[in-house]
Amino acid sequence: MALSDSGVDGIIAEGYAEGFVTRIESDTLPPGLDESVIRTISAIKAEPEWMLERRLQAYRHWLGIEQPDWAAIRHPAIDFQSISYYSSPKKKPQLASLDEVDPELLATYEKLGIPLDEQKALAGVAVDAVFDSVSVATTFRETLAEAGVIFCSMSEAIRDYPELVQSYMGSVVPYKDNYFAALNSAVFSDGTFVYIPKGVKCPMELSTYFRINEANTGQFERTLIIAEEGSQVSYLEGCTAPMRDDNQLHAAVVELVAMADAKIKYSTVQNWYPGDSEGRGGIYNFVTKRGDCRGERSHISWTQVETGSAVTWKYPSCILRGDDSVGEFYSVAVTKGRQQADTGTKMIHIGSNSRSTILSKGISAMQGSNAYRGLVRIAAKAENARNHTQCDSLLIGDRCAAHTFPYIEVKNPTAQVEHEATTSKVSEDQLFYCRQRGLSEEDAVSMIINGFCKEVFNELPMEFAVEAQKLLAVSLEGAVG
Amino acid sequence: MSLEGYRQAALTTIDSLPRESGDWLIQQRQAAVRQMLDLGIPHARQEAWRYTSVDGLLRKEFETNQRVPDRPVGDLDTAPLEEPVAARLVFVDGIYNPGLSTGDGQPGYKLTSLRSAMAAGDRSVLRSVASLSGLGDHLFAAMNLASLQDGAVIQLSPGVVIEQPVELLHIATHRNGSHGQQLRHLIELDTDASVKLIERYLSVAGDSDYFNNIVCEISLAEGAEFRHQRVQQESDAAYHLSRIHIELGRSASYRGVNAALGGAWSRTELHNRFSGEGAVFEVDGLYTAGDGQLTDVHLDVDHALPNCTSREAFKGVLHGAGRAVFDGLIQVRADSQKSEAHLHNANLMLSSRAEVDTKPQLVILADDVQCSHGTSVGQLDEQALFYLRSRGIDGQQARRILCLGFAGEILDRFETASLREQIENDLLQRMRF
Repeated sequence: MALSDSGVDGIIAEGYAEGFVTRIESDTLPPGLDESVIRTISAIKAEPEWMLERRLQAYRHWLGIEQPDWAAIRHPAIDFQSISYYSSPKKKPQLASLDEVDPELLATYEKLGIPLDEQKALAGVAVDAVFDSVSVATTFRETLAEAGVIFCSMSEAIRDYPELVQSYMGSVVPYKDNYFAALNSAVFSDGTFVYIPKGVKCPMELSTYFRINEANTGQFERTLIIAEEGSQVSYLEGCTAPMRDDNQLHAAVVELVAMADAKIKYSTVQNWYPGDSEGRGGIYNFVTKRGDCRGERSHISWTQVETGSAVTWKYPSCILRGDDSVGEFYSVAVTKGRQQADTGTKMIHIGSNSRSTILSKGISAMQGSNAYRGLVRIAAKAENARNHTQCDSLLIGDRCAAHTFPYIEVKNPTAQVEHEATTSKVSEDQLFYCRQRGLSEEDAVSMIINGFCKEVFNELPMEFAVEAQKLLAVSLEGAVG
Repeated sequence: MSLEGYRQAALTTIDSLPRESGDWLIQQRQAAVRQMLDLGIPHARQEAWRYTSVDGLLRKEFETNQRVPDRPVGDLDTAPLEEPVAARLVFVDGIYNPGLSTGDGQPGYKLTSLRSAMAAGDRSVLRSVASLSGLGDHLFAAMNLASLQDGAVIQLSPGVVIEQPVELLHIATHRNGSHGQQLRHLIELDTDASVKLIERYLSVAGDSDYFNNIVCEISLAEGAEFRHQRVQQESDAAYHLSRIHIELGRSASYRGVNAALGGAWSRTELHNRFSGEGAVFEVDGLYTAGDGQLTDVHLDVDHALPNCTSREAFKGVLHGAGRAVFDGLIQVRADSQKSEAHLHNANLMLSSRAEVDTKPQLVILADDVQCSHGTSVGQLDEQALFYLRSRGIDGQQARRILCLGFAGEILDRFETASLREQIENDLLQRMRF
């Protein structure tokens, strides 16, 4: 690439703006995992017996299976016994308002640019903030309660809505699904629970900010969103994490259930700590996300902007069970430095006239490695199913890598399935054109990259789109040269 | 046949070789037997065998020892081509048949059978055996080396250009009993040499269930040009595995076209290796599968050097309960800048019982490249059918026209007109148009 290095190294050296540690006392279990750890987690959270049984069942299954090795990622073996499986801010506050929250904790949010007290004022955004593993503040609950929407932490849901949790948790991602789902099912710490009753359009966008804070603490989020018939919800998830030397494991499970005519839109901006320029530290992000379109005309849409983590292993998927159901996957994944991402989606078409769209944009810079791995399966029963997949990779620098691994399995002749993938670098012609119009090299590259990702950003809720563009600019300015 | 069965069969073959004369590659064969045991039987958890079960193959007890054809070979219908050929090498049940073959080598142009090269201990030929394939990276590839019987040897000296095509014809004749054939073709083109090869697999044995296990090693030196037309029309009960290794030197070019029509189980694997810059690798293919058929294509396109170009286009027509598997990998290694690689796979499904599993893959480790792949699965366009019918063409005829239009893009790549016609007729007959 004909770009100069000027002004670029400075930005690389800038490092990770979100990297800081909040000094706050925590109750943390010693590292290690056995049945007693699981019993302790369950006891701390005062869970009912059935929940403990489920955890133990998952744990016993996990013991008997091997970590998968098929993804295009390389990392040192994870020592699951060196991880602490529970951490909560000390003296868990019983909150009536934000005033009671530890001021240091609130300051953390402010450094991240998401001051909760300002969030409150922001129209239409309710925040269930997860600080390490325990939810400490929930806002706007009253407004939501009026609409009949349940928006709370998973711990509360287990306590207050056990029948809902019992019947839906694990129904989309069973504990036997994969290695990390089994682990999560055994040790999940907390997460978000959303229930939208029949016919209700959620009055505001729901949002959770995650934050890993305690060194050596695995973060095992568990999210469950249920949209009853004819309901609608848009959920935003974003995350940042402080700078660490030890690799931190993040193994979340997200389950979405959309009944007939329901629509769930799930947006993620992921900016976990990616490790230093040598690839030390950084989050290992092994996530199982899956949505189940259970009824006719159910609609599930995943949008993700992945800029962080040392290792990303994530395949938000849709099971299109209902007739005329719709699945969507829009993704921008950026890897630079030594980051590795193996991400994509699965669209399982079972219902007739089910449709899915996959749009994946991978950007690899420096020594980053980016893989799209996707499955489109048209079952024999799925008449007139339709899929279009577009995977584009943009390469910046001669040491990066971009891979595309689509799997297409069609058992019905009425299906129409298309897959397209391209790989290229920022073209000299485009750069030249922009330079000729007086743009600096950096601005030109930034503009081209934004254009490359635009179709995905368009799918994000407004406030996220802004954040995503900013993230992308910060992530990549350092890499161009 | 179990792994042990295959090992025994290979050892029996090795033991039966005449040790007193020639060079029968005993050591390589023994190493290949060890390789077979190391690799074991392919299974669905291996990425390359994910959609392709070998269970049916394993249930068969294929005899790998040489057998005499069931009937006088003089009577065989060898489906001759109308176009003149420079030479024709005919293999009957896996053994070179001089009586049916025509054409001889000339100065600078060696044409012989691998069996006679082994019997003569001809090092100028035998040094090339396994030079591209290695011991083989799956059971059947290793098995080919362990118990190989025969094959064609074509060697061209620098600058030699053969205008008319050379034909390799394989005919299966056995009516009963399962027969395993291990053939290996060695093709070497020196600098600026050029030849066109027609490779055909036919059966006159009705629905006998033999196993053709073929390895082809093609080595192209700088500036060499190779045209390759391959047609697989095995019996409907046959097993066919072709593994083709191609090495391309600087500015060499390989242009191939494949048609896979027959066989109960048929798999074609193409592996290329660029050993010089500026080389061009192009391959097209047409496959079809109906009731009781599985057809499988694996491409492994490896851009290990800069400034090379590759292009692949494969089309499949599935009818009845036919199954197709397509697995196309394009790899661009680090520092292979200015690589251009494009792969396309399209599948036409004509029946509700057909199945297609397609998996194009890109692995890119350099940035200044142009790479793309595309794949599609669909059925005949209703509107196009309607258009044709509104012009007075009946439904059957309309479908036939559209299918041929779909396959035509690949069929047109067959330069030899009578061969193209044979394929077209076979295709239509198979789809019962």
